[in-house]
Formats: sequence, structure tokens, C-alpha cells
Amino acid sequence: MSTRRADGLAPAASIAGPAIRWLIGGRVQGVGFRPFVYRLSRYYELSGWVRNCGGEVQIHAEGPAERLLLFGNALVSRAPPAAAPRFLEVRSTPSERSEGFRILPSTQGEALHVHVPGDLFTCDECVAELGDPTARRYRYPFINCTQCGPRYTLIRAMPYDRPNTTLDRFTLCPQCAAEYTEPLDRRFHAQPLACAVCGPVLTWREAGLVIDGNEPALAAALAALRAGRIVALRGVGGYHLLCDAADERAVARLRVRKGRPAKPLAVMVPWRGGDGLEYARSVVRLSALEAAALLSSARPIVVAARTAHGSLAESVAPGLNELGVMLPYSPLHHLLLADFGGALVATSGNLSDEPVLTAPEAAAARLAQVADGFLHHDRPIARPADDPVVRRIADRVRPLRLGRGTAPLELNLPVRTPVPILAVGAYSKTTVALAWEDRAVVSPHIGDLASPRGREVFVQVAHDLQQLYGVRAECVAHDAHPDFPNTRWARDSGLPTRAVWHHCAHAAAVAGEYPSDAPLLCFTWDGVGLGPDGTLWGGEALFGQPGAWQRVASWRPFRLPGGERAARQPWRTALALSWESGLEWPAGAALSDPLLRAAWDGGLNAPATTSVGRLFDAAAAFLGACLHASYEGQAPIRLEQLCAAAGAPAAPVMLPLDLDAGGIWRSDWAALLPMLLNMRMAAAARAATFHASLAHALCAQALAVRTQTGVGRVGLCGGVFQNRILTEHVRALLTASGFEVLIPMQLPVNDAAISFGQVIESVAGLRRTL
Amino acid sequence: MRELIDELFAPAFANPHLDTRADAASLPIPNDRALVVTTDGFTVQPLEFPGGNIGSLAVHGTVNDLAVSGAEPRYLTLSVFLEEGLDIALLRRVVDGLARAARECGIAVVAGDTKVVGRGDCDGIYLATTGIGFRRPGVGLSLDRVCAGDRVLVSGPIGNHGAAVMLAREQFGLRGDLKSDAASVLPEAQALLTVPGLRFMRDPTRGGLATVAHELARATALTVRLAEAQIPVEDSVQSVCELLGFDPLYLACEGRLIAVVAPETAEAALTALRTVAPRAMLIGELQEGSPQVILLTAFGGQRVLDELEDDPLPRIC
Repeated sequence: MSTRRADGLAPAASIAGPAIRWLIGGRVQGVGFRPFVYRLSRYYELSGWVRNCGGEVQIHAEGPAERLLLFGNALVSRAPPAAAPRFLEVRSTPSERSEGFRILPSTQGEALHVHVPGDLFTCDECVAELGDPTARRYRYPFINCTQCGPRYTLIRAMPYDRPNTTLDRFTLCPQCAAEYTEPLDRRFHAQPLACAVCGPVLTWREAGLVIDGNEPALAAALAALRAGRIVALRGVGGYHLLCDAADERAVARLRVRKGRPAKPLAVMVPWRGGDGLEYARSVVRLSALEAAALLSSARPIVVAARTAHGSLAESVAPGLNELGVMLPYSPLHHLLLADFGGALVATSGNLSDEPVLTAPEAAAARLAQVADGFLHHDRPIARPADDPVVRRIADRVRPLRLGRGTAPLELNLPVRTPVPILAVGAYSKTTVALAWEDRAVVSPHIGDLASPRGREVFVQVAHDLQQLYGVRAECVAHDAHPDFPNTRWARDSGLPTRAVWHHCAHAAAVAGEYPSDAPLLCFTWDGVGLGPDGTLWGGEALFGQPGAWQRVASWRPFRLPGGERAARQPWRTALALSWESGLEWPAGAALSDPLLRAAWDGGLNAPATTSVGRLFDAAAAFLGACLHASYEGQAPIRLEQLCAAAGAPAAPVMLPLDLDAGGIWRSDWAALLPMLLNMRMAAAARAATFHASLAHALCAQALAVRTQTGVGRVGLCGGVFQNRILTEHVRALLTASGFEVLIPMQLPVNDAAISFGQVIESVAGLRRTL
Repeated sequence: MRELIDELFAPAFANPHLDTRADAASLPIPNDRALVVTTDGFTVQPLEFPGGNIGSLAVHGTVNDLAVSGAEPRYLTLSVFLEEGLDIALLRRVVDGLARAARECGIAVVAGDTKVVGRGDCDGIYLATTGIGFRRPGVGLSLDRVCAGDRVLVSGPIGNHGAAVMLAREQFGLRGDLKSDAASVLPEAQALLTVPGLRFMRDPTRGGLATVAHELARATALTVRLAEAQIPVEDSVQSVCELLGFDPLYLACEGRLIAVVAPETAEAALTALRTVAPRAMLIGELQEGSPQVILLTAFGGQRVLDELEDDPLPRIC
């Protein structure tokens, strides 16, 4: 007899017989599940075997019925912390008269059930060993076990066995081999197992100097950091650029060399105190949610409020009241931070918005002008994974970037896809998503596709996801913009393609995270994306369901002088609004070149847009908070943080909302200009009023659409909703009006979600045409 | 029509080979030379722009196609399409520009034809030319000869023609000293022809430097790497591009030449080129890799230069 249950609970009581077989799915790969099963069998004195089969684990156990029952229950109840097992099948089976309990070689099995484990932070036991002078791996920078260590970044192929990882080049020494094969050892079948005798090793390189060996190399790196120099360190998913976060001159030097004058830099702080957060608390104020996020298994960068008296250099996040902080997550980071005794800037080792560098040769070449020295190691990185980033928005810690430990992000599809789909994402903050059956996986953050490396990594990840999960795409979903490199790649793939409009993908991503039969009103507010009408969308409300969105609300359009240059030059949008509305911007006179005006009047490189992201830019420019942005989002970030000084809640400017000839509700931003240009009002009050006005405008649009459609669910997506003040105000207003408000939890609200949205949109389209 | 030919064209273009009464011209061809022929049409708007007009442009465009093929331009045929009601003074300026450019380039207009079309059937003046030149034996320039490691040179600042014509077309008026670079590149080409290891030359017209780089990448299946800091761009062109959001790498030139030279003689080629084009620069090289064009930017960044789109859409998100 056989039972297959969807609820994942063991139908234990009905099972009787000489032997039982379990098929277990869920997260059981790369988390020490087989060794755990082995130890459990020893504990209950059962014979049989366990093996990986595809992505699932098959267990065969023989013994007295009552112990088999206990064993079966313990498979889930006592599973390792990083595991999430789910019973797929339990059946009684004839005895194989097995002697003892064995771990059998993996078999391929069906591909549908593969789970590729994400990278795991160094567990408490390994951290303890790292600091134990009597332990064999005392201060060994690559210590790991079945419960911790890299996974996604060193797995070349599934199943997750050592020959399929980048550790295949390291032959285990006798002691490690003994641990690997000793079922009661906590390193039993730990695939990245290593020690100082047989494992990866550190090398320090600087001009004219090479230092091999873990301790000497680490000491050289420390000396460099203490001297205020910049160190490129090869970590788990790529290189970091490190420098003393308390040393103003070191940070300034890093900024000059990286050509990154203002973008905030992430900081790694030492693990200190009972809960490990003592040092972190000295530089940021942590709510319970944020503290839990810092300690969560992905060990992400948490963006939190900076303390007033922090010891860090102001230039780590110049002019900002928030800071991105993370804890050490690899043994190498633990050693370095503990020895250094203070916070280190730990920013991605890359140039501009390229993917993080992973190979020593490439890092040495590309970062030669940035780093004073390199702390390399010789454990290859199969593919990059940046540090994940989260921020508390609307009472939840939500992702801003998927990365090491949080990706590949595995999600369930609301409905099954008829064919496997590969979705190639947006042009910037690109991720790739793969969907088959009722599953979808989203890759880590790749970066933007302007650079050759961005494109190379994109192609690699597109192939790797299919290879790792054993799924071959039969359809490629891409952005509807015809000229994006990922669009071209989709066209060149030879597979059937599906074009998805940028904002439809945004809305579909929310719908995919919160499946329902009821229609959704989704506010997709971001920078710009090409809309079906040929204009640049960015402030759209879409109503409907995946595959059937209708634009129901938007903004009064305006034209961007100089096209895409407006993205980094907020003064351009400010001029545009001033010209469009006829309201003078006195401070903009110096920027208002007659040639630019003539080009704008003549429609030369002045595309029309309804972007709310650009409205934020313009507001920041009007307030003098940001005329030129050196990184994406600088203007809205400054505007948001200006609000902190506003004190009293701001009364909104109520913006006119009218139905246009095409049946679209349009809010008119023009009424904001007199307020934004009112020099008698404090900049903080104007910033707060701007936020409040946009929140009320959104709510007014939602109410107008509700009168027409009766819609009750409202989704928020697009990069604009990374803004906490706006998002929380919007949520409060909508909730008070009786709406259910949906804000993404699993995926970032920004373009990282586009690939998943393309999947959802394509599944809906494919199902309709069947 | 006869009046127009006799009073305007014939005197302007007068030369021993031009007989306006004959149906065809007979031309002597030197024994040891290969015949090189090119043809082109010109529809530029506006017809006059800072630095030239459609007449001088037609000569320079034709001469340059011959020059980068390694030929000495000698003869030109000309078809003129005139829109009914065209201002005769404008026509005279165009013909003068054409005649002067031809004289300067040492090329003779040997045959011609004139048609007048109805109002609205053309934009004032269209010109079509055929250029004939002679090439010495032993000159073999070809994309097939380009290999990995070869260097890329440009004869001077890029983008002037595209920027000047754009401003003139939109009637934005003059912008400082910004004018078209329209000129013959014959001296540059001949200077380079003396250098061993010269592989290939091209004049970057429509689509500019980036488009020639793409042609190179496509034809050779190599990666073309260009160093932004080495690419000469005049301040006036740069500032107009900054302001209006254009990329000078994609703007047309009408008096520049891109050359591909073997690495061993790249410096010699630059020296030779600078005797006639002092602002010439070594701007990049070809490397093994996928066929693409990569721009090395400040701070060591790398940007893929995509092919020019017919109808470019903004790509920011």
C-alpha cells in the first residue's frame, strides 16, 4: 500500500510491516539530513539505508514496529535546524534483511524535487571550535560541517555530493576522511569538509609580496587594515572590499578609488556579547525585528537607524541616518573581525553595478587600482552571490536584494505551469527565475546588464539554474523592451518566447506572492519602464489578474529632458515639471540651458513619462537636497530622510484626480510645486508634505477605482515602495479605508521581482491559450 | 534645364573630361592600377550646416569611401534631384560647395544628370554620386586581414558632424564653435598607406565610431575594446551630448577615419597619421572573445556598446 499526502504529515499509525520506506522532500539537501537519518537509525537501532534520489531522500528502515514509528516521527521533529523535511510518501515494504544502516550512493531520480541549498552561516559549534586552541580546526578559516558552510556558491551540479562541488580538487586527509565516513561525527558527509592539512588555504598578495599560509596571510591582511589600507577579500560568494570603518581617510580613499562618492557602504561588525549583537547595537539602533533579521540564517545586511554616537566614519554613509550592517557569516570573517576588533566596511568587490568578482585573477586585474592588497583563497566560487540586503518596512523586515543564503529563492506557483519557463528579468537589478510544475526558483541578484561581466553572469546563471534543478526551459519570458540584452538572448535561444511589460511583471509578482481568485489593484511605482503605449511608465495602477491587467490610474505625464540622463540628474525632472506646469523654479534658472529647453520643446530626446520615481527626484531637486545623484535612489533616499526632522505630521496637498479621455484616473502633480518651492516652509516639512501628498493621492486613486470595480485588495510594488515613510503612510490610509494591503515579503519590491513576475504572467498567458 | 546646366553646373565643374553635350565620358585608366568604384546617395537635412552643405558632403563622402579603400579618387559622376521651387541662391551655394570640395580633393566631375521633381517629392536637393579611383598594386586592405591584437586608431575628434547637423536641423542655432567635421580623409588615408601592417580603414559615418566597431567585431568575431579616455571628443560636442543626452560614440563623422593596424606598427601608424591629423589617437584593440564592443570607462568600469537601434527607446528602469 502507498499513501501520498499533500499535508506533509506522517500517516504513521496505519503503517505496519517488517519494513517501511519513506520518501522525503522539502529542504533536505546540503543540510546534513542523511547523516541525521543515519544517526537516528543508530539511536533507534534500526537497519536499512538512506539515499539521495533527485532532490528527495529515500529511507528504508527495518526493525520493531514501535521503534519504526518513533523513528518516522523523529525524521521531522528532530531534523537539523537548516532542514525543512516534508513527507511525500510512506509505505510498508518487504524486508531486505539489511545488516546495519548504510548511506547509499545518490541516484538521479526525477528532477522535479531538487532543492538547491543556499549558503549557510557558520554554526555555533563551528564558531566554538574556531576559537578552541585544542580543536583540530582552531582558527581554520574554512571550517564547516553538515549544518553550515557554502552551498549554492560551490555546487557545480546536483546531487550535492563532494565530487559535484568546487571542493573536488581537495583530497581529504586521513583525519578528515575518517570524520566524513564516521556516521556519528557531526561532519559525517559534510561535503565541503576541510582542514588546515588538506583544505583550502589563504594567500596574501600585494605589490611585490606574496604570503602563503592561513595565519601569515591573515596577519598581513590585518596589518594592512590597521594601517588604513584597502583589502580585497575573497569570501563566500565573491570578493569584498574592506577597510577600517572608523578611519575617515581609509573610507574616503575607498570612495575615491571605487568612484563611489556617496552611496552608503555596508559594514561588518564583530560578533560580541551574549547575543552577538553588542557591537552592532553600538552603531545602529535595532528593533527586535531587526535584531532577529541580523541573526537570521542568511546573515543579511540589515539597513537600520544609525546611532548618534557611533564610532564609525561619517563617510561610511554620508549624510544618511541609516546604515547597512551585517554580522560575520563565514569562519574567515569571524577570524578577521575578532582579530581586528572593530567594524569593517565590507562592500561588494566590483566596479559600478557589475556582479561581484569571484575569481582571483579577475579580482586582481579589475581591482588593482582599488585594493592595496588581496586576501585570496583557493576554494573556487562556482557562481557569484552578493550579500542579501533587508530593511524594515511596514512592520516586517523585507528583502531589498536577494543574495547569499536567500537565493536561489524557492517559491510555489499558485497554479501549475504547462511548460517549464525561464524568465530573464529586468535590465537592472536583474535576477533570473525558473519555473516548472508548481515550483519557481529565483536567482540571486546579478547586477545590471550594462557591463560585459553582468551579461556573462546572466548567461551563466540562466544555464546553471536549469542544470542544477535538472529542468530544461521550453519557453523564455522576457521584458517587452525589444533592445535589452536579455531580450535578445531570449530571442536567440531558439525557444518560444513571451514578452511581458515591465509593470505587468511587477504586478504579477505581487499576485504570485499573494495568490487569490479575487482581482487585485496593484500600484506599480518605480523609475521608468517601457509601457505598451510607448511612453515610460512608472506611476501606474494596474487592475486585474495575471495575464489580464488593465491600467486604471496614473499621473499627469511629463517629458524628461535628455531622456535617460534624467535618472541620475534630478534637476532635469525638476526643470521638466517647472516647464510643463509653467511654474517658475528660481533656483533652476542656472541649469535651464536654452538649448535644452529648445530640444525639450521640440521633443528631441524628451520622452514622456508618468514616473513617480522621477517625481521624487524632482522634489529632492526643488528642495535642494539632491540636484545630481551619484547612485540610483540617492534623491528619494535624501528626501525620505529629510522627513525625520519634520516633527509634526504633515498635512497633505490634495492633488486633483480626474478621469482622462481614455478612462484612466490621473493625479496631477502640479499642485505640489507651489508647496515644494515655498521657501518659507522648512525643507523637512516640505519633504514630509510631499510624502503625505503622494500617499493621499494613491489612496484617492484606490478609492476611485473601488467605486468602479469594488476591488478590495491593493498591492504595492516597484522601487518607490522601498521608501518606508511612503509605504507605511499608504498602508495606514488604505487599511483605514478598508482595503487589504499586500506588500511583497519574499521578493524585493524592486526590479529583482521582475523575473518572478514574468513567470506568473507567462503561466497565466500559457494556460489561457491551452 | 539647359540653362541651369550651362550656366551653373558646367562652369562650376569645368574640366577636360566633362563634356555636357556627350552622353558619356571617356576616361583613361593607368595600366598598373586597379579600378575602384563606389556609389552613394545624399539626403542630409538641413541642406546647409555649420562646416558644409550637401554639395561638399557628397564629394567628401565619395572621396572618403575611395580613400579608405586605399584608392586615389579621380572621377565623380553626379545625379542631382531638385525640388520644384528650390531657392536658386541655395542651389548655387550647394554647387559651389561641391565644386570647391572636388577641386580640393583633386577629383573631376566627369558626368552628370539633373532632374527636377514636383514639390514635396524630395527635400530640396538629393544628390547621388559615383566615385572612381585607382589603387596601386600591393595595397590590400580588408576586414579579413584584421586579427586579435591589432590596434584601432582614429584620426581626430568624433561626433562633430552628427552634433552639428542635429543642432542645425532642429534650428537651435549655433553652439559655440561646433561645426561639422566634413572633409576629405585622403591625406590621412595616404599617410597610413605608407605604414606596413595597415589592415583596414573605414570612415565612421552613420552610427559613428560605435557602429564601425560593431562592423569590426561582427566581421572578425573578435572583441573590440575601446578606451573612453583615449577617444578624442571636442568639448563643444561633449557638452551638447551631455546636455541633450546623446552619446558621441554613436554620432556620425564625415571627415574622420578609423584604422586597424598590426600591433608592431601601431605607434608608427600613429606618428604617420599625426603628420596630417595632429589630434589622431590610438583608441583600442581587438581581442579574442565573443564578437562585441566593450568600452573601458573611468574607474576601470566596462560597458557593452550595443548596436545602434533604428528607433532607440530609453532603457532605464
